Amino acid sequence: MTGTVFDIKEFSLHDGPGGRVTVFLKGCPLRCKWCHNPEGLKKESQLLVKTAQCTNCGLCKKGCHHLECQPFGRCIKVCPKNLVRICGTEYEAKDLANKILEYSDFFELNNGGVTFSGGEPLLQHEFVKEVCSHLENVHKAIQTSGYADEEVFKSTIKCFDYVMMDIKIADREKHREFTGVYNDVILKNFQFLKNSGIPYIIRVPLIPDITDTEENLKGISKIVGTSPVELLSYNQMAGAKYESVGMQYSLTNDKNKEPDLSIFKNAILSK
Amino acid sequence: MSKALLDYILKKEHHKFRINAPEFAEEYKEKGLSPIERMTDRFEKLCSLETPHFLPEEKICFVRTIKNIPDCFTEDEWAELKDKYFIHELGYLSNLSPDYEDIIKCGLLAKRETANEYQKRSIDAILGLVNRYKEEAIKEGKPEIARVLERVPAYGATSFIEALQSFRIVHFALWLEGNYHNTVGRLDKYMYPYLKADMEKGLYTEETALALVEDFFLSFNKDSDLYVGVQQGDNGQSLMLGGIDKDGNEVFNLLSKLCLQASKNLLLIDPKINLRVNKNTPVETYVLGSELTKAGLGFPQYSNDDVVIDGLVKLGYDREDACEYVTAACWEFIVPKVGADVANIGALNFPKVVDNALHKHLLTSETYDDFAKEVKKEINAECDIICGNLKDLWFVPSPFMSVMCNNDTIWNGGKYNNFGIHGTGVATGADSLAVIKKYVFEEKSISKEELLDAVDTNFENAPELLHKLRYEAPKMGNNIDFVDDIAVWLLDTFSDALKGRKNCRGGIYRAGTGSAMFYLWHANEIGASPDGRLKKEPFGTNFSASIFADIKGPLSVIKSFSKPHFENAINGGPLTLEFHNSMFKDEDSVEKVAMLVKSFVELGGHQLQLNAVNLETLKDAQAHPEKYQQLVVRIWGWSAYFVELDKEYQDHVMLRQEYTL
Repeated sequence: MTGTVFDIKEFSLHDGPGGRVTVFLKGCPLRCKWCHNPEGLKKESQLLVKTAQCTNCGLCKKGCHHLECQPFGRCIKVCPKNLVRICGTEYEAKDLANKILEYSDFFELNNGGVTFSGGEPLLQHEFVKEVCSHLENVHKAIQTSGYADEEVFKSTIKCFDYVMMDIKIADREKHREFTGVYNDVILKNFQFLKNSGIPYIIRVPLIPDITDTEENLKGISKIVGTSPVELLSYNQMAGAKYESVGMQYSLTNDKNKEPDLSIFKNAILSK
Repeated sequence: MSKALLDYILKKEHHKFRINAPEFAEEYKEKGLSPIERMTDRFEKLCSLETPHFLPEEKICFVRTIKNIPDCFTEDEWAELKDKYFIHELGYLSNLSPDYEDIIKCGLLAKRETANEYQKRSIDAILGLVNRYKEEAIKEGKPEIARVLERVPAYGATSFIEALQSFRIVHFALWLEGNYHNTVGRLDKYMYPYLKADMEKGLYTEETALALVEDFFLSFNKDSDLYVGVQQGDNGQSLMLGGIDKDGNEVFNLLSKLCLQASKNLLLIDPKINLRVNKNTPVETYVLGSELTKAGLGFPQYSNDDVVIDGLVKLGYDREDACEYVTAACWEFIVPKVGADVANIGALNFPKVVDNALHKHLLTSETYDDFAKEVKKEINAECDIICGNLKDLWFVPSPFMSVMCNNDTIWNGGKYNNFGIHGTGVATGADSLAVIKKYVFEEKSISKEELLDAVDTNFENAPELLHKLRYEAPKMGNNIDFVDDIAVWLLDTFSDALKGRKNCRGGIYRAGTGSAMFYLWHANEIGASPDGRLKKEPFGTNFSASIFADIKGPLSVIKSFSKPHFENAINGGPLTLEFHNSMFKDEDSVEKVAMLVKSFVELGGHQLQLNAVNLETLKDAQAHPEKYQQLVVRIWGWSAYFVELDKEYQDHVMLRQEYTL
């Protein structure tokens, strides 16, 4: 079967233990206002135009005969600076696995492995599971919002050696306000993860005045108890890619508040 | 470190002591003096013109007060010499790694016993200056400095501080004699016994030893603005740390660690830190290295013992000499003490040989193999020209340098007299050949005429073709065998073309992967190239991907660039990787970078230059140089203060960053 990938990043530093390669799967059921990968939201391939360096030469708008350009109304095969691209590549599971296996020697030398991220990788869970089935000797990690059907969550995380799961907002209504969905299923899935025996970490993105409030952090602490937690400082570049996919970023570029780590039993802060 | 000394040097306050030396050449010409007589006389005169000065809180003294080194020959005489001989660069000795170890251990007076007349006069001249420094020290109430100068460099050093001071004086003397790119060699190897003995006596803690090493490092920055190469900063004060000795034992020691720390603390461009590593090097060493990389100086540059030593042995170096290898000014591998290689004497322009073959033979080649044969002939022809020009090499004889090299005729050659030839633009050459192979001969989707026309018109009427060749064609750096194999073939062909040739000093030729400044110069020798590189666009620096190539990431780059058979192309020239400085923000990331370097070594890469940079900072520095006086960037084999560079070099550094991984 096939899946849609929007990026494969070599040597990603914050996606799990050791030297890693991260596969970003396209499509996400959440709409977090602070999402820094807006090109990962839609499941379908889409046009991505890096406008900052564009000189408006007009070549891409002249019209062309390439089949692959037709859906986008722009020519993707002519920009002198390669600023007009299609975001989203379809892979056969086996082909993607082979691509990952090319890095096997690095994984071994760097105590690393592959990380599936997104988007929300669980949205393409069948594909992810099939890719994993070809990666027996590779350390596999997943970054997930935890927002998936319970059976899907259970059967997928079993394929992994390490799970990085977000708990962004404790309050049910606020979760819906800022991410577009309720957190009920996420909290259920967390309970399963906690008892699964699979090594994991809970990640909390610190978004100014939304998730970094004392109230929210206390709420999350209550949910996670002694589970390991990583608080992720707000990425002030989060809005950088919105323009290239024709969207607008609605949050500020301010820094998050310095969190009080003592709220948690077992937390670290990543800058 | 002494903050007062650092500030004093940064504010260039010691420049006020500087005077101009008069010209001597006309007088020498009139008197009809021999070259060696001129060199000796000039050194004596310059030593006597020097005035002793001590900088605030300085423990290691000697500061240059003579701004210029007047030439030994008039312009007419140089013209005559150039008619008669091949003159390399400035004509004076450079890029050697002298025997500091022996001088520090035995002292100059011991050397004097076996010295010739000119060497004796040179030794006396520098010792005369040392004596005046000593008297001044006594006069200014600096008995500790006076005591050290009483001993060194006349006699062998008996302590760490004496050893450092002895080095400083002889290194100073080498520059004053008019030699340049005077490298530092394996400082941690020859200097450590003194530190170790002093520490055993309880004279230093790690902390106080570090402070002294920092003060010592400051001494490399007092006069370095007077050592100008192609650009300010290109001065060749390269220092080599770590690696194995001739018995295979690891050299890396406490002093190696202190040197890495001192460089990180000082954030100055001298000395230039190199680190030798091998498959047994522990992760902790790479972590120390990565912490220095994080500081943004472009240090350390790594060399892989496992590849370099075997490569040098294969070229005919004795193993025990090969085990001692260091780098010349930039990255050329040379042997200290006994080597007299000229490691940067010429350069092959890979894209140009491809361009020659393209214009002369593409239309008549029926297969890619036919065409590749023509490229091979062009490489041979180019090597014929390069080597053919290198006849009757002559250097101005330097008596003091010869004292330091255990050889009174170093200018006529040493134990090793090999010539190094750089190879510029390997990636551009390989990418261009890949386009020809794939599209012209295999897929036949581009006609020969179409390609030639596009290249000759700088792709002006072929935007779609430009896009295809520039961004869709396979590029070296993405771990694609199709193109990487061509790069391997290019380097093999280059080294084969040099094989068997004898140079004019009885040595051989060594093929290399460096570019030096040729990445700019050579790029202007051709127009656009088949890989979609436009006219006037530079090549990548040294051994790196083409600068516009869409690269997957550092892992693919490392894989691509560790494929060549480096044992056949071991003149030196590093793979250059540039990381955004935000990648080094936490300890975990520094450790991951360290592991990445370790992987590079284990995969068989030969040399690695790793830079931490921030394009936004560079842009701001170009606009507001006054705010960034100390901002350091790596150029091709050396680091420089960004604001002191010509705009051309600043722009290239910035262009590289746009494609930062």
